[in-house]
Amino acid sequence: MKVTIKNWVGVATWRWVANDDNCGICRMPFDGCCPDCKLPGDDCPLVWGQCSHCFHMHCIVKWLQSQQVNQQCPMCRQEWKFNNK
Amino acid sequence: MSTPARRRLMRDFKRLQEDPPTGVSGAPTDNNIMIWNAVIFGPHDTPFEDGTFKLTIEFTEEYPNKPPTVRFVSHMFHPNVYADGGICLDILQNRWSPTYDVSAILTSIQSLLSDPNPNSPANSMAAQLYKENRREYEKRVKACVEQSFID
Repeated sequence: MKVTIKNWVGVATWRWVANDDNCGICRMPFDGCCPDCKLPGDDCPLVWGQCSHCFHMHCIVKWLQSQQVNQQCPMCRQEWKFNNK
Repeated sequence: MSTPARRRLMRDFKRLQEDPPTGVSGAPTDNNIMIWNAVIFGPHDTPFEDGTFKLTIEFTEEYPNKPPTVRFVSHMFHPNVYADGGICLDILQNRWSPTYDVSAILTSIQSLLSDPNPNSPANSMAAQLYKENRREYEKRVKACVEQSFID
């Protein structure tokens, strides 16, 4: 028997792999976007600190910019360093 | 008008309703989500027991990157509460974190009632009595518990 595929539709789903469901700063789901954005995905990425805590990039950058002196992780108060690995 | 601060406050309110902490309650005022009214019930086994202490919480558009202004409306006699109702609590000042929400703020203030910090006094009389004359301190606190039923 010979089968001919006439057409097909590919569907994919994606999600961020984070150790939590929600961003601790804005409390929105990681699979959604930060309150300043409209669409989730690469335009509203997640970032990790070396302390392993994770936030929407826009949320953590806003927090760090509002701090004059110590740039600390909002979760553990360790000095915030982006984990580039 | 929806802004990040307002959206965050809607989530705070939702969480406060779905998962209410014991002994505290709070809600935005009718026409302004940036100003909340709250009540903290005096914790058991403290001289504040049975008191119903009212507070206002005022947020700015910078919330949660900046803490709100929290103030007791009810008259308070506590080492870390100023005469105008302002609260001296590190997490509402230099130890603020944007991961705190209304629920966390209210439970922190509730535990401040149980555990005053007399070394950082906002009311020096209350701090002194707390350290040196606990009986008199408790008498003064009981008086403001009574007062809290009226105002």
